[in-house]
Amino acid sequence: MAALWPDFRAALFLFYKYVTRGNKGTLVLTIMVATLAFVQINFISGILSGAVNLIYVQTKSNYVANIVIQPGKDQFGYQQEYLTQVDLLKRKINAIPGIIGCSSRYTAGSIITYDPDKTGKDVRSISWPVQSINPVEEVRVSNLQNFMVAGLYLDASDRDQIMMGREVAGGYGAALEVQSLKGADVGDEITVNYQNGVVRTYTIKGIYATVFPLADMTVFVTHKEMESVLSLHDRASEILIKTDEAYPEDYYIRELRRAGIDMQDIRPWQDFIGLVLGIAQSFDIIKRIILFIGLVVAGVTIFIVIFIATISRRKQIGIMKAIGMKEGIIIGSYVLLAVFYAVVGICLGIAAIELAVKPYFIAHPLAFPMGKVSLLIVRTEFLTSIISMLAVSVVAGFIPSWRIARENIIRAIWG
Amino acid sequence: MIKVTDLKKTYPGHVPVHALKGVSFEVPSGQFVAIMGPSGSGKSTLLHQLALLDTPTDGQILLDGIDVSGLSESRKSDFRLRHLGYVFQEYALIPELNAIENAFLPLLLLGMKRTEYRRVASDLMARVGLSERLHHLISQLSGGEQQRVAIARALVNRSKILFADEPCANLDTDNKGIVLRLLRKLCDELGQTILMVTHEPEQREFTDRVIWFKDGLLIKEEIIPGEMRQEALRNGYLTDKSDGNLMNL
Repeated sequence: MAALWPDFRAALFLFYKYVTRGNKGTLVLTIMVATLAFVQINFISGILSGAVNLIYVQTKSNYVANIVIQPGKDQFGYQQEYLTQVDLLKRKINAIPGIIGCSSRYTAGSIITYDPDKTGKDVRSISWPVQSINPVEEVRVSNLQNFMVAGLYLDASDRDQIMMGREVAGGYGAALEVQSLKGADVGDEITVNYQNGVVRTYTIKGIYATVFPLADMTVFVTHKEMESVLSLHDRASEILIKTDEAYPEDYYIRELRRAGIDMQDIRPWQDFIGLVLGIAQSFDIIKRIILFIGLVVAGVTIFIVIFIATISRRKQIGIMKAIGMKEGIIIGSYVLLAVFYAVVGICLGIAAIELAVKPYFIAHPLAFPMGKVSLLIVRTEFLTSIISMLAVSVVAGFIPSWRIARENIIRAIWG
Repeated sequence: MIKVTDLKKTYPGHVPVHALKGVSFEVPSGQFVAIMGPSGSGKSTLLHQLALLDTPTDGQILLDGIDVSGLSESRKSDFRLRHLGYVFQEYALIPELNAIENAFLPLLLLGMKRTEYRRVASDLMARVGLSERLHHLISQLSGGEQQRVAIARALVNRSKILFADEPCANLDTDNKGIVLRLLRKLCDELGQTILMVTHEPEQREFTDRVIWFKDGLLIKEEIIPGEMRQEALRNGYLTDKSDGNLMNL
């Protein structure tokens, strides 16, 4: 190692002189391209990560929480319709450390009818499942109560009240108007024909809008009301479980099984957003493509700059070799130069992201169909972009300098 | 001392060019030798082989008793750095470095400490009359000054042999005088062995001996009488504008 020090010192000396006494315009432009490439990689990656993260947060906060327990097969292998002994199940669930809360829901198929002027001339019907919640326990599992855009959240004692998302009611900026009641609002009456033949009329108590279409396509009555409709007690179609983020869902699923909840179907939230996960995977591919393109742009720019520098200094390089300079020193000086372009580009890029891009998008998030998307810089992706950029700069500095440095001295000096 | 035996250099191609066709001669240490001949006679090719910038096709080169003909490229590079100095026709300095940085570059490569290589290079720069120009960029120096920086760089490693390939070719009369006197002085005072390629007959008067080349062959040798050298040192390449101080470097 000590033997390499003089060579490294000489390479460092030449590199320093190239930077301080070389063409300042080239220096600035090259660094600018490296900076922009770095910002572009991390900006697009950050936006896509922000969008995916928003989907995940919305799913966990407003759609299915972290874990869903659904009925499994009985001892004879028949699929059960409802979970049984739900109160006992919930006690077991809540006893597991790290579980924030759980909420049981019934789901019943129905046809919802809305006749705005009650004349029968403009009846709007949709076939839609109605779910039930216990508002007291639901608030520990979902955040819907925070997204009311009209009216109020359900109370546990409500019987003739219904609450629905904007995608079902229509209006309030709903994106999927085709499947909605096209303008049902708070105070309006709707009729629900349940699958079991029970017909109930409800007044819309509240409309919520999380901006996440999957969450906004639900209709809720209270648990008490649904048990009356279905003539059931201590049962549920599903139990939603909210966990802390200390451990992944798989850990809690193992804990649930260990607690004796083993005949039921226990699934993490990811299983309920298959379509969205496909989008997330597509985003990952896009991020990789963007990373690749950004690296190619930065790499090619640095390559061209070093290539031109070495070509224009071809004679000098021949002279350096003639006085006894090793090829490794010459190559090392240009690799250091290339890495310098990348390092300064990365530093300026980080500064631009942290001081300008990130604050701007936090203050002015982009409107996406699933909500407002801000920049999310994922540490591993960020580090990957830094390491990749450094690696690309080493290659971009090495190849042209290696080509020139190994050239015959006579040819390099006299052509 | 330099000993060359049956040195040949052929450049391959459709029509191979035999630049050196078997050259043999010796140069004792401390001698200033001019290599002369018409264009294409093989003067520069010979210098390239002796300075280990190129590999001869055949023959043997002994530099201070070391057979350098068969050295690997890395060994050649190391030998050039430690034992040889080379002055090119066109100054051949690194424009990003200032005068003293160009001069101390070989010492930096040898791993010498910063204070030490700066001191050695400063002394040498003073010796070539450039102590006031140490920190000037190359573009701020005249042709003659640049060539003197190149000479300082070639000598800074205490090279045993200094090769100079038409070092005065691009210089005006005054600067030619300065550079030739400097080379003569290095030979006389430091015992420097110098091989200089030139095509100007007047320049040979500053040397001890001339080797004449033609068509890749050594055709004759000429010893320069001491009186001719003294006369050249007194009056050679002097003009009305010549700076007496520089002429007496």
